[in-house]
Amino acid sequence: MTPKLKKSLLYWLLLSPLCVVILLPFGVMFVTALRPRDELFVYPPTWTFSEFRWENFVEMWVKTNFGGALLNSLYVSVTSTIIAIVLSIPAAYALSRYRFSGKGLYRNFLLMTQMMSPIVLVLGLFRLMVHLNLVNSLNSLVVTYVAFNMAFTIWMLQSYFNTIPRELEEASWIDGATSFTSLVKIFLPLAVPAMVVTAIFTFINSWNEFVLALTLIRSQNDYTLPVQIFSQVAGRYQVEWHHVMAATVLATVPVAIVFSWLQRYLIRGMALGAVK
Amino acid sequence: MKSRTRIPTTPLLMILPSFLLAMSIIGYPILDLAWTSMQEVSRFGKMMGFIGLANFAEVFRDPLFYSSLVRTLIWTVAVVGGTLIMSLPIAIMLNDDFHGRGLARVIVMLPWAISLTMTAVLWRWSLNGRAGLINATLMDFHIITEPIEWLATAPLAFTVEILVGILVSIPFTTTIFLGGLSSLPQDSYEAAVVDGAKPWELFRYITLPLMKPFINIAIVLNVIYVFNSLPIIWVMTEGGPANGTDILVTYLYKLAFRFGQLGKASAISLIMFFVLFVFTIAYVLMVMRQEHDSTAEEVKNDA
Repeated sequence: MTPKLKKSLLYWLLLSPLCVVILLPFGVMFVTALRPRDELFVYPPTWTFSEFRWENFVEMWVKTNFGGALLNSLYVSVTSTIIAIVLSIPAAYALSRYRFSGKGLYRNFLLMTQMMSPIVLVLGLFRLMVHLNLVNSLNSLVVTYVAFNMAFTIWMLQSYFNTIPRELEEASWIDGATSFTSLVKIFLPLAVPAMVVTAIFTFINSWNEFVLALTLIRSQNDYTLPVQIFSQVAGRYQVEWHHVMAATVLATVPVAIVFSWLQRYLIRGMALGAVK
Repeated sequence: MKSRTRIPTTPLLMILPSFLLAMSIIGYPILDLAWTSMQEVSRFGKMMGFIGLANFAEVFRDPLFYSSLVRTLIWTVAVVGGTLIMSLPIAIMLNDDFHGRGLARVIVMLPWAISLTMTAVLWRWSLNGRAGLINATLMDFHIITEPIEWLATAPLAFTVEILVGILVSIPFTTTIFLGGLSSLPQDSYEAAVVDGAKPWELFRYITLPLMKPFINIAIVLNVIYVFNSLPIIWVMTEGGPANGTDILVTYLYKLAFRFGQLGKASAISLIMFFVLFVFTIAYVLMVMRQEHDSTAEEVKNDA
């Protein structure tokens, strides 16, 4: 046995309890989403079931207004991601390329906003949205998600911007380009990968947010997915668990796949000095 | 050629939009909470007049506040401590080259991709006393003979919530550690190996000291996130049974949006804000010191 194989076996042995605990609820999710309703509460409980009931998904979609919640989630996440990126690009560029007074102060300010969690401010935010007449409007979520994600987006973009060589822009200035054209024509195209990665993480953050959506959205038609699924579990006498799990499959699996594919960029971002 | 430093307004204009938004969405509510916490507020949010610190006095007389506070401490210390103890060895393994490392990374990072709400919903159903498949699995392996009602009694439910809290905090912490490990200088390891150091000594005398800044940052960030985490407890038990799993955030949420005690809720929000503020300052100082160290190092290397 080669040393590497030995090491691999040892590592997998050590990691396996954790992997089992992580994967177990997903197994539960799939077997519940696919089993017939009358096999939910059998005693003793078992993993097996008589048939794959794919109709559960169709039933759930119709009965729980899943499509509506999906559209709400998409609207909120896409809009807030776009606005967050558009507002963050100039700020990240300024932090990456200029020396100016107040720069250190602004970075610390961003760090502080990142530390402020929505839950501590939720009552104040609720009252703010009441004043602005935005309660029950999905736009209240868009505005708050942009604000709470901005520190992260600026920070990620800046750490990638720092890796783009200055010389490219300087060369275009010498060729007579204004700083604006060099920004749009030279710099931004190079920064596209960084923007895409940052945008996807912002999207996932907004997609998964719970506290603000639970508080600022009061009418069922405007629920985003996490709140919609929560509302089917909380305070109900009878929970249709097979529908809840079918909804959870649809709400989590696509995001989990995209995240798994991109997580190495997050690690690289940290290594590039995001933590510094 | 134009000098870029002659127009210092440009960078300020560039940061202005993000600054204004953050001030209005994050700064303004803090002021509003400070104002509300000193008002008598009716159930329907109407201000009934200035009452000074009476709301704070009421909070400090409330036994539920103290029990939630104690539970918040247990919750934060247990989740952050458990997460750190698990994450460092995991990060060291995932940083090493072995067969199937890509897959292992994906599995370990998976809880990060899923919303905490969904994770909590999944666990709530998996732990169901009557039909939960956790009980089924444990019974299949003859670890238990009778199904356990995991979430029906407060101490057990709280313990389970802490374990789920640890599970969902591991990915983020491991990511910080992986970032740190990849920046460690390889030559010190090689030199130590040449000198005959054992793996444990390598860990104790090289990895641990060099990782210290990253461990510190992981502690502070996790304390902030865990202290503020609502979804796990809210979805799994809603702070119940009988307020037995309430931490400050769930208690605050109940006061504000169930019982309509807005004055008292604002007071608790403000108290939490100050706790958070202290941790944030600690974090900012830590980051600044690390930046200072790394610039000092660059200067040294240049010389």
